[in-house]
Amino acid sequence: MFKQFTENIKGNEVYLISSLGLFLVFFIVVTILLIRVRRNHVNYMSNLPLNDGAAEMERIGL
Amino acid sequence: MQPEKFYYDNKIVRNFGIATVVWGIIGMTVGLLVAIQLYHPAANMGNQYTTFGRIRPLHTNAVIFAFVGNAIFMGVYYSLQRLLKARMFSDVLSKVHFWGWQLIILAAVLTLPLGITTSHEYAELEWPIDIAITLIWVVFGVNMFGTIIKRRERHLYVAIWFYIATFVTIAVLHIVNSFELPISAFKSYYLYAGVQDALVQWWYGHNAVAFFLTTPYLGMMYYFLPKMANRPIYSYKLSILHFWALIFIYIWAGPHHLLYTSLPGWAQSLGVAFSIMLIAPSWGGMINGLLTLRGAWDKVRDDVVLKFMVVGLTAYGMATFEGPMLSLKQVNAIGHFTDWIVAHVHVGALGWNGFLTFAILYWLIPRIYRTELFSKKLAAFHFWIGTLGILFYAVPMYWAGFTQGLMLKEFTAEGMLKYPNFLETTLRIIPMHVMRSVGGALYLAGVIIMAYNLVRTAAQGKLVANEGAEAMPLASLHVDQHQEKWHRRLERRPVKLMVFSLIVILIGSVIELIPTFTISSNVPTIASVKPYSPLELQGRDIYIREGCVNCHSQTVRPFRSETERYGDYSKAGEFVYDHPFLWGSKRTGPDLAREGGKYGDAWHFNHLMDPRLMSPGSIMPAYDWLITQQLDTTNTIAKINAMRKLGVPYKAGYEKIANRELDAQAQAIALNLLKDKIKVKSDKEIIALIAYLQRMGIDIKASKTANNN
Repeated sequence: MFKQFTENIKGNEVYLISSLGLFLVFFIVVTILLIRVRRNHVNYMSNLPLNDGAAEMERIGL
Repeated sequence: MQPEKFYYDNKIVRNFGIATVVWGIIGMTVGLLVAIQLYHPAANMGNQYTTFGRIRPLHTNAVIFAFVGNAIFMGVYYSLQRLLKARMFSDVLSKVHFWGWQLIILAAVLTLPLGITTSHEYAELEWPIDIAITLIWVVFGVNMFGTIIKRRERHLYVAIWFYIATFVTIAVLHIVNSFELPISAFKSYYLYAGVQDALVQWWYGHNAVAFFLTTPYLGMMYYFLPKMANRPIYSYKLSILHFWALIFIYIWAGPHHLLYTSLPGWAQSLGVAFSIMLIAPSWGGMINGLLTLRGAWDKVRDDVVLKFMVVGLTAYGMATFEGPMLSLKQVNAIGHFTDWIVAHVHVGALGWNGFLTFAILYWLIPRIYRTELFSKKLAAFHFWIGTLGILFYAVPMYWAGFTQGLMLKEFTAEGMLKYPNFLETTLRIIPMHVMRSVGGALYLAGVIIMAYNLVRTAAQGKLVANEGAEAMPLASLHVDQHQEKWHRRLERRPVKLMVFSLIVILIGSVIELIPTFTISSNVPTIASVKPYSPLELQGRDIYIREGCVNCHSQTVRPFRSETERYGDYSKAGEFVYDHPFLWGSKRTGPDLAREGGKYGDAWHFNHLMDPRLMSPGSIMPAYDWLITQQLDTTNTIAKINAMRKLGVPYKAGYEKIANRELDAQAQAIALNLLKDKIKVKSDKEIIALIAYLQRMGIDIKASKTANNN
């Protein structure tokens, strides 16, 4: 099924392989950085939409 | 430190909301009309301003840039203020943005039916409007970044990253795909030609889907879904991975629109590989959205807003699975140019963009009017009629796509095309087209019901134009920058975030575009391919004006089923003088790349006057005004000069004799028609169009004959 891709790119493998390599490096770097993010920061960030100032005003009746 | 009191601007959100609904109804009504035209040619209304070729772009532009565009700004202006705990940077800029965008849409509504078009799909608007779009986009950007700068929340939530990526990428796409050389106030030629133009267009076209229909909606999903479900997003880390992976990969996938064309094979392969990889981040986003509702599925049963969100996310998942599958060459060979693509697009547009927009409107309008939704029952009815509408739309279109795609490829036992007449395949799928318009009508009915429900909701409440809020001002930061995590720092620096996003999207763009432009072996020239004659050039511009490209492709793929039907497959060198390329993306009618010499001039004349005279049952509109309208030759000199500037090798001084040559060629065609007892003056538009149609593919046929001799 994938034969035609490998045949088509003969002589131009450099584009495909370097592009995939580039993405792989990028993906791994982002993943590593993400693993190192602290849990309390993640909790803080994910709660941002739920705390928008207006809700606070509503709660205290302003 | 004392908390600061400030006010969110809800009026601008409301205004964008109204524009969303109004343009949505208009855009979908035009969509319904074009759907009916495909089985009932009389619906073209017998005049040039309402033919399928001219108003199909009106439908696409209206739903993409007017309906979805205004919905994006509504969602962004609402969520951005709240996520940053600040009013929009400038009320004046907000107003300029709003009215400027509506004027641009109005300009599209006026110019597209007039036939003023560049012919690039989803970028049809001519150069003065392109400039206006750029200016208004900058206004939006300044307003957004101004708000970010005066924020009271140090960290930028992931939704804002999606907004920033949208802003910067759309700016790059729009500018690069708008490099045009104007020849008059409403006519220009693209700087790129042929294969290069095709690559730029589909790099743009695909990423308009990515960064206009997807990333801003993902940003809105990350904000509104947690608000609607009253719980944080399932995984914030996944949302970050989703963001970076999505913007990195998406930008490469454009060439999957050009599989089996004369685009260099390596670029096609890159497009396919990255399209398949795209499943991962797309589904990451969908799963993150759906899992946010974990433990809250009971709410989905009662809450119509969540129902819309769940179906919208599911449609996103289906469309983003199907997209990569369609980019596999074997699948693409059948699906491309057929209604399958139309079905695919509409699962995304109606399901993902439409349903998310409706959910946000139902959630947001009662809140800014401090009231309850007027009728939950009507909203629930909208949900069901909308869902049914999508099914009635998509299923017949899939059926039509498979049917026609397979019919066009079928051979008899003797090795002949089983359906040599293209029209036979068109007529076979007409029942599916009727059903599709029923689906569209159901969907549109739902939107009208929603509009009524929202108007009644607004009437029973009162707009809180300025909504009070309170937050602490940002204190200066006393942290050791070196100790801080890299990503946490980036979250606080919007400009760096924008630059980093820009770099990420430029990587794919540069690797794909630059070699096609700079390495000449990617576009081998063909000696027999000559520039168009002045009359053919004028005819080509009429072809563009009438939107013929919306139904007829001009690229023969290297399949036996196509070379048997149309002729030799297309090569890159054939298109070197084509500013713009006219390969098309849909074959409602047959390909025209090898049309030249296939029929006589009289056949074309009669066919354009009334297609059903020559092809009984044809669904093509009549173009009888071409017989009476005089060809404008006052711009021939400007056109020749512009083409020469773009690299077409017209000899020096040729523009001075161009109109003389044009007349001579036109008179020869008129004389030829007279032999078949057709009396028409040589200065009519139809003569130019016939000249162009008779030129298509002739150079390649000539080169073959020369080789054979």
